[in-house]
Amino acid sequence: MTARRDLAVAVAIWAVLSAIGVVVVLGTQILPVIASREAEVVNGAFVMLTVASVPILMLVVVPSAYSAIRFRASDDDETDGPPIHGHRAFEAGWVVVSLVLVIGLAAFGTIGLLEIRGGPDADLEVRAESTQWAWEFAYPDLGVRSKELVLPVDRRVRITIVSDDVLHSFYVPAFGIKQDAVPGRVTYLHVTPTVTGTYGAQCAELCGLGHTKMVAGVAVLELSEFEAWVAEQQPQQP
Amino acid sequence: MDRWRRPGLARGVLGGVAGFAVGALPIVAAAQLGADIKPGHGLALGYIGAQVGWLLGLGALRFWTAWALGRAADPVDQAAAHGRAGDWTRYFRFTTDHKVIGLQYLITSFVLFLTAGLLAMVLRLELAQPGRLMDGDTYNTVMSTHGIVMIVVALIAIVGGLGNYFVPLMIGARDMAFPKVNALSYWLLPPALLLIVANPLLGGFDTGWTAYPPLSQQANLGQQAFILTFITLGVSSIISAVNFLVTVARMRAPGMSLTRMPIFVWALTVTTSIVLVATSVVAAGMTMLLFDRLLGTAFFRPSAGGDPILFQHLFWFYSHPAVYVMAVPAFGAVLEVVPVFARKPLFAYRLAVLSFIGIGVLSFMVWAHHMFVSGMADYFHIPIMITTELISVPTGIVFLSALGTIWLGRIRFATPMLWVFGFLWNFVIGGITGVFLADVPTDLALSDTYFVVAHFHYTIVGGMVYGLFAGTYYWFPKITGRLMDERLGRAHFWWFTLAFNATFLPMFWLGLQGMRRRVADYPADLADVNLWTSVASSTIALSTLVFLVNAIRSWARGPKASANPWRAHTLEWQVASPPPVENFEHLPTVTAGPYEYGVSASGPVIRPGGATGH
Repeated sequence: MTARRDLAVAVAIWAVLSAIGVVVVLGTQILPVIASREAEVVNGAFVMLTVASVPILMLVVVPSAYSAIRFRASDDDETDGPPIHGHRAFEAGWVVVSLVLVIGLAAFGTIGLLEIRGGPDADLEVRAESTQWAWEFAYPDLGVRSKELVLPVDRRVRITIVSDDVLHSFYVPAFGIKQDAVPGRVTYLHVTPTVTGTYGAQCAELCGLGHTKMVAGVAVLELSEFEAWVAEQQPQQP
Repeated sequence: MDRWRRPGLARGVLGGVAGFAVGALPIVAAAQLGADIKPGHGLALGYIGAQVGWLLGLGALRFWTAWALGRAADPVDQAAAHGRAGDWTRYFRFTTDHKVIGLQYLITSFVLFLTAGLLAMVLRLELAQPGRLMDGDTYNTVMSTHGIVMIVVALIAIVGGLGNYFVPLMIGARDMAFPKVNALSYWLLPPALLLIVANPLLGGFDTGWTAYPPLSQQANLGQQAFILTFITLGVSSIISAVNFLVTVARMRAPGMSLTRMPIFVWALTVTTSIVLVATSVVAAGMTMLLFDRLLGTAFFRPSAGGDPILFQHLFWFYSHPAVYVMAVPAFGAVLEVVPVFARKPLFAYRLAVLSFIGIGVLSFMVWAHHMFVSGMADYFHIPIMITTELISVPTGIVFLSALGTIWLGRIRFATPMLWVFGFLWNFVIGGITGVFLADVPTDLALSDTYFVVAHFHYTIVGGMVYGLFAGTYYWFPKITGRLMDERLGRAHFWWFTLAFNATFLPMFWLGLQGMRRRVADYPADLADVNLWTSVASSTIALSTLVFLVNAIRSWARGPKASANPWRAHTLEWQVASPPPVENFEHLPTVTAGPYEYGVSASGPVIRPGGATGH
């Protein structure tokens, strides 16, 4: 009977702590800056996973802490515990619940992947060219080249990424995503900036001596400002 | 002068130097004749020559060469190679006793652990403040060397150290199946380890332990030291894995059925199966990389039609399973300790065994989760995401087994049990944060940031290092015949645990802020947290000194340990501490399972001599 009470008390503590943890998580902003539609999807995945993590963490912390306090034996006690070798139903339940949880998480992850990597054609194409150790951005349809990535807000952009030496990775933390540059291949990502402002792009794949300094500015402008910037950059017609 | 006449360390070093010269001289000669020779060619052939010379001088090959020459094996020499109890010189020569080899691995690992730990201190010194103290090449070399040396420690400490020492004892065998191969697996390592630690003298390398081409193709000669070390470690691991598997398959005492095997032995069985299958793949990848650097091949050279992504597949096809080569032995050690100090049978023993096997199988199907942003096909993300998250099911069973065992137990908090609880609390953080990296959307943000650094330190330290310390405190009395100081043990545990969490918890936050891994500098707004982390990390190093002092003092003059101070039921505790040279005077017959706490008062009944099991 007392074993059953121990279980009930531990379950109650687990439920309370899990509920508190979930409330705390929901009140916490996880990604510091969310400046693109993709970052919104990523942040949504963060919230979902963090909420799911809390009861799992508590499932380890609560029974172990409870046992450490409740089932501690004195040093001169030489008795053994009850000879319980297992519990079929409990073991099966543990496996089934973790399987269901995993399938659910994988399903959410797949939906997020489709949202970020799938989707309609882009409004604008930019080529991010990497080399040891600098970024340069080309706008093939506009005839513009720039050391800074300038994008219009609320337009879906396809950024193709190339390298002419080693691996690099195009990473804008505010956009929540990154993609490696691979010499000999063209990789890409889609991004739809949602908030105007200035951000940073950085190389996220170790590329040698200057890796740390391989950064570039990112500016997200209103469409009219972007068009003005393009006009300013374009070579004057003779 | 006598030492030069007999095989041993001195002749080994001499042989190594001579071998290097023999290997490298033809290259020098060819260069004189106008061949297109790089220093790398000399280093590669010189290294091979040095290994052969070293092993010959050491006497590591003498039994096989005698056989090849048609001479009868010399039983006196064989017995001498096995060593005598109390002879300290056996630790410094080619000795075939598995207990000597286990200690050689364990001490070597600890020396490497301290070395790589000091390198981490150098990294944190650079990162304590924004701005730069050292140049980029130096930082990258220190970072890369810290990485690969710690990887070596994580791979060999439990398997080579505790595994070698205890697997034969736990299954009731007198030694491993192939004692000479066992010694060879250890003695292949010193030249390789010397080479990797000395890589800064060769210009260092700047690729991290992952060695991605094309960067690794253009990197300094230190990169080649890395490749040669990696391949040597692979050879050593493979022959050691065969040895473990044959030992477990063929050397179990009568009555030691598979379902009576201690969980630690099961863990080593699964681990070495992974090693056997996966290691040759990465060795092939590293060899191709070496050929790209030296022979003008273009396996991974995009400018000549090669594919750098192929290397990543080959690398991670080994290197992700390698994570389980580090973790599963720790699971085994933890689950071995739990029943002894909870005084209850291991909960769900069969399910735990199945979970190890499940981890072993699944570990081969998850490698590409390291490559979600590498540019591989988008559809391939989905199956890899599913298998990666699926592996949390068998890993969760390890927690089920540990928690089920302590529940309703009679728990004694001796030092080994503290490390078990530390394992549960820290490894669960590593496991949960792993799901964020397995999930594609969140990984797109987190990949290659400090979140990854924090995550894998929680898995490797939270998993492997906690398991290693649990096992070390648990088996120390058996190995040395002395008890460790419990007060210092507790101090070490609490200090290490607080320092470790203070250092690595903030790194999750840094990663979320977008701080990239493997950088020497960062934006000023991350300065406070980085300073905190640097200070905290230095206290990890200090806590390790507590262990060092405790281990040395206890070994020298701790209280004598009885054969079975923890009243454990497994076989290694049924012989004297430390065990005699041949382990068992009479091979035991096993009549009960290893964790029958609360069922029978003592361990499996050993009936010496010809008695049969049932």
